[in-house]
Amino acid sequence: MDVYEVEDLVKIYPKQTAPANDRITLTVAAGEIFGLLGDNGAGKTTLVRQLANLLAPTSGTIRLFGQPLTVAPLYTPGRIGYMPQDGLALNNLTVGETLYFTAHLRGLARRAAQAERDRLLALLDLEAARDRMSYRLSGGQKRLALLATTIAASPPVLLLDEPTNNLDPQHRRLVWDIVRGLNRERGTTIILVTHSVIEAEKVIQRVGILRAGRLIAVGRPGELKASLNRQLRLEIAFPPNSPPILPNGAAPRELAPGRWQVLIEREAAARYLDALSRSPAVEDFTLSTATLEDLYLALTAEQQEQPL
Amino acid sequence: MIEHRTHQPFPAQLLDMTLVQLANWRWSWRASLLTSVIAPVLSTAALGVFAAGRGPDVLAYILTGNLVMSLLFGTFDRVATHFAYMRMVGRLDYFATLPIYRATLILATVFAFLVLALPAFLITLIAGALFLDLRLALSPWLLVAIPLIGTALCGLGALIGIVVRSPEEVGSLSTLITFLLVGFGPVVIPPEHLPGIVLRLGYLSPATYAASALRQTVLGMADRIPLGVDLVVLAGFLAISLWLVGQRMDWRQA
Repeated sequence: MDVYEVEDLVKIYPKQTAPANDRITLTVAAGEIFGLLGDNGAGKTTLVRQLANLLAPTSGTIRLFGQPLTVAPLYTPGRIGYMPQDGLALNNLTVGETLYFTAHLRGLARRAAQAERDRLLALLDLEAARDRMSYRLSGGQKRLALLATTIAASPPVLLLDEPTNNLDPQHRRLVWDIVRGLNRERGTTIILVTHSVIEAEKVIQRVGILRAGRLIAVGRPGELKASLNRQLRLEIAFPPNSPPILPNGAAPRELAPGRWQVLIEREAAARYLDALSRSPAVEDFTLSTATLEDLYLALTAEQQEQPL
Repeated sequence: MIEHRTHQPFPAQLLDMTLVQLANWRWSWRASLLTSVIAPVLSTAALGVFAAGRGPDVLAYILTGNLVMSLLFGTFDRVATHFAYMRMVGRLDYFATLPIYRATLILATVFAFLVLALPAFLITLIAGALFLDLRLALSPWLLVAIPLIGTALCGLGALIGIVVRSPEEVGSLSTLITFLLVGFGPVVIPPEHLPGIVLRLGYLSPATYAASALRQTVLGMADRIPLGVDLVVLAGFLAISLWLVGQRMDWRQA
């Protein structure tokens, strides 16, 4: 069953001529974690806000569980939880109050809403912030509180716009664990926008890549990466300030000082590894198949070369 | 997939939303103290000194005019700013993605800011009456007049907060309108001291009817406009402003 069916969606903002979303057609199946990737300004947030019924499309249709978003005033808000890129839900309330009112307004009984508040405070490591006003929280705590508010009372569909922004590595991992857990245990359909492509790869089941408002690729990461997987990704570390010794014929990319990446043909891998293991200048190296980030970079680079 | 839950019934939504909006006292009390208590009380005192010896009618206008000013700052001005602020920080998005009717947000905001304005109104009333040495003659109709005045002004504030595009402009515009409403019409100044054009313009201002209703229900004075007319006109302002807010406050951005 499809949760979202998007057809020929176009969004042109007032007083603009270039579309922010250009003829987007896609479906998101029930129980799926769907990732939206793209550069800044690619149209990801515009698409997600239209899916949340916060932004009216210029043309095209969006159906949620088979019905138009506007079929009834409470139809879409009764089925989704939306986490915006920034902002606070209710900064005149404490974190505990915000969670309680959100859970209650989403249909839980008063006692159940209190229990949901307590569960979420514990789940998101926010117990110490329970009685603090939202605007007094640190940047990371604000994101966690906003995520807690979004998932309160377990809406069947979650739209998460950059859920790990401003979070330290430990809390980023917590967020991805929660996303995976909601999907696995409750069957929640999750659409997420993220720049943390490498982290997101561990949770995303299907991905859509946007560039300049257009959806340039949709599919399972494995499928999409198949074209790149003829090549392997080799990362090599050299001591800082020493000249890198890189495989002949490869096009290297410097990831960080002293750390290089090259894409090599599978057939040549054994030869390269042999040479690297003998080289005293090499501090470390890793060999892997192409990542979602490689795919994303390859696709966007490919599109940049083609006229839109 | 778990079965999605239904939304709360309208009264439960309204109660929750009112409690959420009442929590605005946490920031609004400072502004209330300054603009809804200190400013009207000082204005009452200053004008009272100048008007000493001009008779109780002039003093009555000073008291009720400043009560209207207290209510204007506590309701109209604060609600306008609040709606603009909600738009600016994305709080309307949060409400728009909750299963609540738009009407509950509008009604809850209007009701909550009326309640939040009442303490300042009462302090201004008591302090002003004591300072001007006016005898209060409270009418039971006051229980109808005050909620009607407060909610009508809140409704107009909500309209300004929704209609004016830039949130930065809302604050200065609502303050300007507050002073214009007090100045244009027999609100603080008795009608015999006002030019004819101002008197006629005053009939368009809700502050004129609010001040007239307060003179009749707080001080028991007879007025050019009967209390029934004041209440009907204020109810009209309330209904029209709430209808317009409902029309203009689309959850969905264009």
